[in-house]
Amino acid sequence: MSMSDGPNIDRRAYLTAVGVGGVAALAGCTGSGDETSGSGSDTGEAGTEAAAESGTTLPDSVDIGSDIPYRPFEFKTTDGELKGFDVSIAQAVFEDQLGITPAFTDTSFDTIISSLNNGNFRVVMSAMTINETRDQQVDFSDPYFTAYQTMLVLKGSDITGRADLEGRTVGVQKGTTGADAAEQLKSEFGGDLTIKRYDQIPAAFDALINNQVVAVINDNTVNGEFADQNDAVRFVEGEGAAADAGKNAPPYLTLTIEEYGIAFREDDDEFRQRVNEALAAIREDGTYDEIYGQYFSG
Amino acid sequence: MSDARSRNADEAAVSPTFDDRTLKYVGVAVSGAFTLVVGAFLGLILWRQVDPSLFVEIFNPQFVDAFLVVVRIVVISSVLSVVGGFAVGLGRISETTMTRGIAKGYIEFFRGTPLLFQLIVIYSGIPAFWAAGEFPIANFSVPAAIIGLTLNHAAYIGEAIRGGVEAVPDGQMEAARSLGMSYAQSMQEVVLPQAWRNALAAIGNDQVILVKDTSLLSVLAVPEIISTVQNINSATFDIWTPILWAAILYLAITIPLGKFVRYLEARADPAGESA
Repeated sequence: MSMSDGPNIDRRAYLTAVGVGGVAALAGCTGSGDETSGSGSDTGEAGTEAAAESGTTLPDSVDIGSDIPYRPFEFKTTDGELKGFDVSIAQAVFEDQLGITPAFTDTSFDTIISSLNNGNFRVVMSAMTINETRDQQVDFSDPYFTAYQTMLVLKGSDITGRADLEGRTVGVQKGTTGADAAEQLKSEFGGDLTIKRYDQIPAAFDALINNQVVAVINDNTVNGEFADQNDAVRFVEGEGAAADAGKNAPPYLTLTIEEYGIAFREDDDEFRQRVNEALAAIREDGTYDEIYGQYFSG
Repeated sequence: MSDARSRNADEAAVSPTFDDRTLKYVGVAVSGAFTLVVGAFLGLILWRQVDPSLFVEIFNPQFVDAFLVVVRIVVISSVLSVVGGFAVGLGRISETTMTRGIAKGYIEFFRGTPLLFQLIVIYSGIPAFWAAGEFPIANFSVPAAIIGLTLNHAAYIGEAIRGGVEAVPDGQMEAARSLGMSYAQSMQEVVLPQAWRNALAAIGNDQVILVKDTSLLSVLAVPEIISTVQNINSATFDIWTPILWAAILYLAITIPLGKFVRYLEARADPAGESA
């Protein structure tokens, strides 16, 4: 007894020390690997049995490529634990539904597709928007998250719709889909829109508060979080792209719709099919809504 | 035998590997090889990386606009920072303890903190004193940029001017005072014209740095040259085509500026042609 207790305590103390010391990556990998391997081996067997019955062979574990951190989709807490919307969805889909142990691999977003195709990991879950260019190189699962581009303005603002932005100045973060949406508005207005591009989204929010821009165009989740914390701002309300597409539209005006998907190599159709079924199952049994509520307020 | 050996030893001590001629050829070979590598690299960029039609397409209006914004900010900040720098420099050499102390504190702060920090303080910090949406200056990024560059570079120019004044021999001031001139008169008529000449090279150097510092203004969302490169890069995934414009446009400001400073130096030099 004492022999098995000894090393166990040591390792735990080591993990805490490493986590507190800030080497979060190491602690996170070791921690999550250990946590899932115990239960993973049991359910893994069950999974392969089930798979054998249905005629598909599933692996014991799946490597997931992801650009960490990207709050609130994938990030490490100060004690080194990997958390986030993608992480919880992966847990629900792969572990709970399919009996496969998910293991996240940190990678850089700009090379993530070629890394996937080179075989560095089996799938990608990295808040990745499904679009045509990407779809030519990989195959996507059914969407597991919908993001909207929205407009945040000051409470007392006279802006009530997209047309009111003509001739005004908007703030965006460089290189984001929010910047693309602003660019699209600009061409709709025949160039009569000034776009201020900030390095980070908080600088754009500051600019809104400081009267430098009349609106910030950004993801609904990030805008929503700021609107919750700051009484001086509000969403521009109304129907938009979401309503046009016949989606279950949120109360705020949506400029564009983006859907996030899990990316697979193009020759991985069988596995993708199983993951789609699992995604449908967690939407069905309420797990999805539970996870969504954990990370997003609106 | 022993004679020859000692002579060899002497030569070895003075010039172990090269004589003058070899040294010259080594220099030529090294610089030639360097030029070849740089030339090959530039050639590779031009042939393989730069898209000629995109290069033409992005010049106007994107880079023209960015260039004009940068030139406007540089001209205004340059003039203001030289004027302000004179005040700081004179304060720094003042015989009044308080004036000297304040000037010294100013220089310590603005030289001791990064320009990026100062720009963020001005652009995001100052408007925070107003309630949300009540800050009166609507397009604050260019004014904030000019204020930040001016305050920062006035500190460096102040130091350059202090150095210029200190390099003027004490005898100049003493001679002027003994001719019955006041302190202010002696400064204005005798010391400062010589100090200006001494400080010119350092001031010119600083103004070139001011031009390059405009690249930091992208954090204030000023549509300057670097943010234009980033925009085009994120829209086209092409980096070398916009980067080439950035190189050309920065040099188009800094090279003529350097020439102008050398012209001023020549004009201020009593031994120069214009004297």
